[in-house]
Amino acid sequence: MSLLDDPKAAFADLSRPEGWVLGVSVAFVLFLFVAMLTGALGPTYFLFLVGLAGMYALLSFGLNAQWGFTGLINFSVAAFFGIGAYGTALMTASGSPIAGGFSPLVGLAVALVVALALALLIGIPTLRLRADYLAIASLGLAEVVRLIVLNERWLTNGSAGLRGIPGFFDGWPVLSTFPEAMPGLRLEVIPGSPVILETAFWQASLNVLLVLAFAGAAYFVLRRAHRSPWGRVLRTIRSDEDLARALGKNTYSFKMQSFVLGSLIMALAGVFYAHLNLYVGPGDLDPITTFYAWVAVILGGSGSNRGALFGGIVIVTIREGTRFLNDVALPIDPAPLRLLLIGVVIVAVMRYRPQGVLPPQRELIWPSAVGGGGTPETPDSGVRERKGGGDDE
Amino acid sequence: MSEGALPKEDAVLRVDDLQKSFGGLAATDHATFAVERGTITGLIGPNGAGKSTLFNLISGFYEPDGGTVEVNGTDVTGMEPYQVAEHGLIRTFQTPRKLEGMTVREAMLVGPRKQPGESFLNLFTSPGAVDESESANLAEAERILEEFEIDHLATQPATDISGGQMKLVELARAMLAEPEVLLLDEPVAGVNPTLAKKLKTQIRRLNEQGTTFLLIEHDMEFVMDLADPIVVLDQGHVLTEGTPDEVRNDERVIEAYLGGGA
Repeated sequence: MSLLDDPKAAFADLSRPEGWVLGVSVAFVLFLFVAMLTGALGPTYFLFLVGLAGMYALLSFGLNAQWGFTGLINFSVAAFFGIGAYGTALMTASGSPIAGGFSPLVGLAVALVVALALALLIGIPTLRLRADYLAIASLGLAEVVRLIVLNERWLTNGSAGLRGIPGFFDGWPVLSTFPEAMPGLRLEVIPGSPVILETAFWQASLNVLLVLAFAGAAYFVLRRAHRSPWGRVLRTIRSDEDLARALGKNTYSFKMQSFVLGSLIMALAGVFYAHLNLYVGPGDLDPITTFYAWVAVILGGSGSNRGALFGGIVIVTIREGTRFLNDVALPIDPAPLRLLLIGVVIVAVMRYRPQGVLPPQRELIWPSAVGGGGTPETPDSGVRERKGGGDDE
Repeated sequence: MSEGALPKEDAVLRVDDLQKSFGGLAATDHATFAVERGTITGLIGPNGAGKSTLFNLISGFYEPDGGTVEVNGTDVTGMEPYQVAEHGLIRTFQTPRKLEGMTVREAMLVGPRKQPGESFLNLFTSPGAVDESESANLAEAERILEEFEIDHLATQPATDISGGQMKLVELARAMLAEPEVLLLDEPVAGVNPTLAKKLKTQIRRLNEQGTTFLLIEHDMEFVMDLADPIVVLDQGHVLTEGTPDEVRNDERVIEAYLGGGA
């Protein structure tokens, strides 16, 4: 049911939590917009935040494809993120100790290939075993990758990190000169506090464009995969792998595909990050990234793509929003509160809504098969009311 | 006549000298028998006789220490469960497996083998073929649910139905995989008598339509009524095989069940 075809029905079709999330999101966007117009929030910084949110959304998409779909426990999100970031940085950065100076497109390709190789390397020995082995191995892998990046100076520049990474669109026709070519704009909505849009702003909007392209593509692929027979096998494996095997599914192959897909999406987040930050260092591989991605997926609702998107945005809001708490006079330093706040949120969600804020609700059958010749007498809205009703309590 | 020595011209499943031990315990001890095409073959035996182990060996979940398993004349010994399934042997489990977050018809759709939509690439390169097979499978799933008289459950969450209904759904789903031989592990354990009767009717009907069954069951009345022939397993080997009447009156079977042993 598309929003454009029948807006009223589309809204009526929302479950209560969906309505809540929609309402809060709209209010939040309005709030940010007002903050921007009044000059309280720099527009360039705002776009940077959108970029970060897109990056976390990508990480949670990737983890969702592994954990949410198939139940694979991957504790090396940070490693695949780091591989993506270092992969493109080593190819493109002027300060790269090995190659350097290539087009970011080459960087993207190399990052994905290396991430693929790493995913296969860790998947081949562990995916045949029980689920826990992947968890243990990936935990180790994350640390191994981080230590290699930190210590193999000839390859990665060690703790100094890599500088001089170009923007993703450098060297592209039109887009590479776009930020400079755009005129500086001065908007004065409220007298006395002008909003100035300059080169940095246009640069940041290019980054947003890039992350929207990455995240949009990932979302499109995952959404289609999730409601396909392919996704159904993955969900069967998550519930009961033996059942899938007994029904003739090559579960090892399916798990490998899911693992590789998720890892590539995580690497994509890393590629974006390198071209956003223009510097990568071993600190970017700290396990905290893995932790954030897990929180985002569990918060949003394991197995739900839009939940992963929501979770990613919430993480960035908490991470960056707490910075503004500095402006408010508090008796204690708010920075350490950030992790506490995330902890409180996750405990609250687990206590009151263990399935996450936006769990997958719709029956996942290839859409045209349900709508078309298959079963016209059972509209999918009826299904979801029944399911959604059970979820709400 | 012992060791499952009935003459079988057209065996869809042939188990020959199968062995498996766990530590010092021979759970399957040179078991030999065959399942003739078109029959409902019962597999009975006292607790610990090795029935479930035998199922796991046949369906590829365990690797045998020795002996062979043939499905449709193909040696499937040591193959992965999914490969055994590809040769036409499908099994169910003793405790119904729950598929969280799926509706009943969704859970049914896991059944069909070789769906085009199970290839990740096809989802993007040939969505038309995916759509076609998904529509056909969905229609088929609903038809089978109707035959099982549980079509009213189609859009219920698969985890919210009763244990007996789960058994029915499991059987219905297994049929979507179009098995040549279907192994049922205690199909009526924990099922109320009405549903058990329903299951019996369904199994008989499916058998008449050409599916061969091999079933483990503790409910003697159920299995004696439904299955012919019956294979009796004791301490990992085939004690005897025969019609329900023959088995019922066999001294050795009675002794095995009463725990004679001495």
